[in-house]
Amino acid sequence: SNGTKMRNIEDTKRVVRSAKDKRFEELTNIIKTIRNAMKIRDMSKCLEEFEQLYRAFLKSKTIVDKEGVPQFYIRLLADLEDYLNQLWEDKEGKKKMNKNNAKALSTLRQKIRKYNKDFETEIVSYKENPEQSAEEEEKDDIGSASSSKSDDDEDVTAKSLMKKKPQEEEKKAPEASKFLKGAADEESESEEDEESEDWGSDSVDSGGESEDNEGAAASLAVVFLKKYVYGDKQPERKKDDRRKRHKKMEQVDEEADEEGEGEEGGWEKVKGGVPLVKEKPKMFAKGTEINNAVVIKKLNEILQARGKKGTDRSAQIELFHALAGISNENNLGEGILVKIKFNIIASLYDYNTNLAAFMKAEMWKKCLECIDELLDILFENSNIFIGENIAEDSENLAISDQPFRVRGCILTLVERMDEEFTKIMQNTDPHSQEYVDNLKDEGRVCGIIDRLLQYLESKGSTEEVCRVYLRRIMHTYYKFDYKAHRRSLGLQGETKSEQDQEESEGEDSAIIMDRLCKFIYAKDRTDRIRTCAILCHIYHHALHSRWYQARDLMLMSHLQDNIQHADPPVQILYNRTMVQLGICAFRQGMIKDAHNALLDIQSSGRAKELLGQGLLMRNMQERNAEQEKIEKRRQVPFHMHINLELLECVYLVSAMLLEIPYMAAHEFDARRRMISKQFHHQLRVGERQPLLGPPESMREHVVAASKAMKMGDWRTCHSFIINEKMNSKVWDLFPETQRVREMLVRKIQEESLRTYLFTYSSVYDSISMATLSEMFELELPTVHSIISKMIINEELMASLDQPTQTVVMHRTEPTSLQNMTLQLAEKLGGLVENNERVFDLKQGVYGGYFNRDQRGGYQQKQGYQRGDQKGGYQQRQNYQRGGYRNQNQSSY
Amino acid sequence: MGSLKESAVSGSNPLDSPVKQIQIDGLVVLKIIKHYQEEGQGSEVVQGVLLGLVVEDRLEITNCFPFPQHTEDDVDFDEVQYQMEMMRSLRHVNIDHLHVGWYQSTYYGSFVSRALLDSQFSYQHAIEESVVLIYDPIKTAQGSLCLKAYRLTPKLMEICKEKDFSPEALKKACIGYEHMLEEVPIVIKNSHLINVLLLDLQEKSTVADKHELLNLSSSNHLEKSLQLLMDRVDGMSQEIVKYNTYCRNLTKQQQQKQQYLQRRQQENTQRQSRGEPPLPEEDINKMFKPPQAPPRMDTLLIAGQVNNYCQNIKAFTSQNLGKLFMAEALQGHSS
Repeated sequence: SNGTKMRNIEDTKRVVRSAKDKRFEELTNIIKTIRNAMKIRDMSKCLEEFEQLYRAFLKSKTIVDKEGVPQFYIRLLADLEDYLNQLWEDKEGKKKMNKNNAKALSTLRQKIRKYNKDFETEIVSYKENPEQSAEEEEKDDIGSASSSKSDDDEDVTAKSLMKKKPQEEEKKAPEASKFLKGAADEESESEEDEESEDWGSDSVDSGGESEDNEGAAASLAVVFLKKYVYGDKQPERKKDDRRKRHKKMEQVDEEADEEGEGEEGGWEKVKGGVPLVKEKPKMFAKGTEINNAVVIKKLNEILQARGKKGTDRSAQIELFHALAGISNENNLGEGILVKIKFNIIASLYDYNTNLAAFMKAEMWKKCLECIDELLDILFENSNIFIGENIAEDSENLAISDQPFRVRGCILTLVERMDEEFTKIMQNTDPHSQEYVDNLKDEGRVCGIIDRLLQYLESKGSTEEVCRVYLRRIMHTYYKFDYKAHRRSLGLQGETKSEQDQEESEGEDSAIIMDRLCKFIYAKDRTDRIRTCAILCHIYHHALHSRWYQARDLMLMSHLQDNIQHADPPVQILYNRTMVQLGICAFRQGMIKDAHNALLDIQSSGRAKELLGQGLLMRNMQERNAEQEKIEKRRQVPFHMHINLELLECVYLVSAMLLEIPYMAAHEFDARRRMISKQFHHQLRVGERQPLLGPPESMREHVVAASKAMKMGDWRTCHSFIINEKMNSKVWDLFPETQRVREMLVRKIQEESLRTYLFTYSSVYDSISMATLSEMFELELPTVHSIISKMIINEELMASLDQPTQTVVMHRTEPTSLQNMTLQLAEKLGGLVENNERVFDLKQGVYGGYFNRDQRGGYQQKQGYQRGDQKGGYQQRQNYQRGGYRNQNQSSY
Repeated sequence: MGSLKESAVSGSNPLDSPVKQIQIDGLVVLKIIKHYQEEGQGSEVVQGVLLGLVVEDRLEITNCFPFPQHTEDDVDFDEVQYQMEMMRSLRHVNIDHLHVGWYQSTYYGSFVSRALLDSQFSYQHAIEESVVLIYDPIKTAQGSLCLKAYRLTPKLMEICKEKDFSPEALKKACIGYEHMLEEVPIVIKNSHLINVLLLDLQEKSTVADKHELLNLSSSNHLEKSLQLLMDRVDGMSQEIVKYNTYCRNLTKQQQQKQQYLQRRQQENTQRQSRGEPPLPEEDINKMFKPPQAPPRMDTLLIAGQVNNYCQNIKAFTSQNLGKLFMAEALQGHSS
């Protein structure tokens, strides 16, 4: 279609071009200006034009997408970059440059470097074989040179081709070439002047391009020859040529497209065009004797590029690998190998500059392998000393009688690897197969840590041992030891496969934990490691239902006093431990302890956040992106999570078992305190429901059970708490499901009995214990003990009649009138106090009107009444106050 | 009728007031009782207009009519219009049509309130001899008619006229809760014919409920009173706390003021010694705005109300105690 269009245009001599032509013309115009500016070294002009070019290129994006990036454009980019680099290198010239120019030069240089990244492949391919591109261009040239109305396109192509002329030739006969060109141009009717200028400029430019010389040399003669051939026939063939040319143009474009696609396909093979790689495909010049010194020198050379802008990090890793290979081939000894390995791993870690980003899978694999190999070497060669404190110059890498001394810290590398693993887990969707696959690496991580542990036990300092122990502990504490559990149940024989057999021969995790933790308690001198170890130890105890050990350790460590000074990750660990402790207490039937331990986490309503298991949406606006990032990094990986529903259920059920009897006992007490706000909240939510269907969620179950318990109906309560739904949601998650359920039933029976007695004692004059025992399916002694306890605690005004086995009620409850009188008395006390304050203010003297002592006594009594509700234990372990939470808030 | 007898005229001098005695027709009493029974329930209050005239220092109340109950959103209803209409109609049938006050029912003796104060003030301001009759239906239901007439004391009238309830003003006026309302003795007067009828009825009626006299089942009444009392005590506490804060703020500011003045003085003496003119005097009150004093009228009213409750409870319990002692004596005698 282009062709037909052109033909029409031809007649009117008007230049109406396709969109493509128009755009390309625009581009080439700008390119021309740039080249001119380059010639006169006007950098500011260059910069300005380059920006224009960039915009113009963006505008013609649609066409470029269709047609592929035009060669002339790529060429300009490549040339410009080379040109700028050359200028940059030229220190003398730079000094002479005026300020504006110098500034523009550096800006432009950075710009083009950044910009060229997008066209890396094209530029590289152009640089690698300029002749190919040139050949392609030839066809155009043929047309362009001969056509009378040569478009700017062609100018550029021709011009840029010519630019490739070998320098020598150019220098020898610049005039000749100009003349030749001039001859060609004179025959055509095109804008000769500009062109010839271009030519000149090109010849100057080409001085800088040494690489391209040979490629272009061969084609040059051909071009000229052809030009001349065409030149003779030109006038007659003008029209035909134009048509042909367009066809050819299309062909070329197609070819270019194909080329581009081909390149895209093989994208991975072409490594970036950074000079470092390009220039040194071979490590050492041939024939160099490869010895330690040379390799170390090389190593340092590579190292120097590390961390610098524009260094290709993946290439660097490659280089290190190559170096390792070379040193292996030449048997340079393990010392140097270890050194190189250290650097490989370090550069693997360096690969991601962003702290939040996590390693790619292949990198991660490589990293694991590397560390494994490194450990292999270290194990095989006991004469290698490594350490951070070995100075660079006191290293001994050569094979000699002396043992190797290498600077580097394997522990740090492994720690970093562990962190990377956590990061990978944090960044994987926990519900995907990928997560499971990633999690499989945990075994390897543990293996590496174990090996390192062995290594350091024999070689490392105590501090290092403590650190590696902590790593080991961190990978152990949250795992439930099934084989130990099985063994304790006496099910040894049931292990199915050999693998299981093998596994079960290992040490119990409890023993390992004990050994490692005790070492740390004894040897550690940094508080943090010890704190973490204690917390993990408690967690592990709690997880395995060793409640008393866990509790004693918690109380002995006095951690709850000063945990608020710890850093957030430790506080998260603390919160996790506390929760696990509470759940453990619940399993053991210590309802009150369970409630106390869980109270602070649950009452905040931010359990998820406090346990590091997710961010809450609602304070999105309160924290900025930076804080969010930090918090995200603190998150605990999914496989270590504590089930939040289980946690809430345990909390609510314990609250129910405590709160319902308490509520029944203090029904008329005006100053009744709530044991658990959270639980009351749930009850209120349940009451607000206009229509009560059968319970669905865990919470609804607990609320329904609470209502049943309020009436002393333990059977209904039982059926609400323990049923299939709740089993699958909560109770089956415990390792000793059956035992926990039995405990729960018993608790429900007991507390229901208490509630029943509180609620209905006023209805009875006396009640037989046998009846109670029957009603609540509890043994007579148990009923007896519960009632006795209630009587002793003065909760129940009654006495036991031994011969008849009955409870005889006494009415000593104050009537409501009496209650009210008491309240009034209290209020009047307050009133008097307030009044006195006014009086004091008037008198200016503090004193005298009323008997102070008396008042003090009254207050004391009040204080006592308030105080006695808190159990001593709760006070002692005022676990959470101002833990992670408070610090967090203050940091906001 | 015990309540009628113990009408202790408190504090103020009755000579100042134009009304020293009130004579109520039996008809009025019955109408008020009927009104409450028909319309009032629970803690709701019924109100109405008293009609009559003053004879020397005696106010004779000869008739009354109720305010109709109407809801807030009933905008069309015009109370004044209704009253005028009513009085005109009564005049047509030759009944006393002079407005001499109003009546109101009460719930366990809670009537000392701002609303009562305001409306009684406006009555007394417009018609000097106006009284308010307080009718306690609960006590009446227990067998003792409880009807009391109150007037604002002249002192309180003055204060209300000034509309200044600041602590200073009240202090100057020397008014306490016991000087707010004065009770006017009431006499119920019936026509001779009615008296004859009553005597006749007394003869005929059997003494059916005699044992009721010793009934102690009064805890409900006591409880309610206690509850209301407690509520008021709470209110009182709050008021006191408010006042306390005010006092503290005041002293604090006083101190600041003092400090400021001292500093200014020092500066001035320094300037004088240097021969400079003293700093211009600024309005110290502008710089230190005294804090807003809390109005004390509410406190007074609460105190009055608390006093009222206490009187009630006292009367009630003394009656009960009497009954108990009597019962004890009887028991001791019989055993």
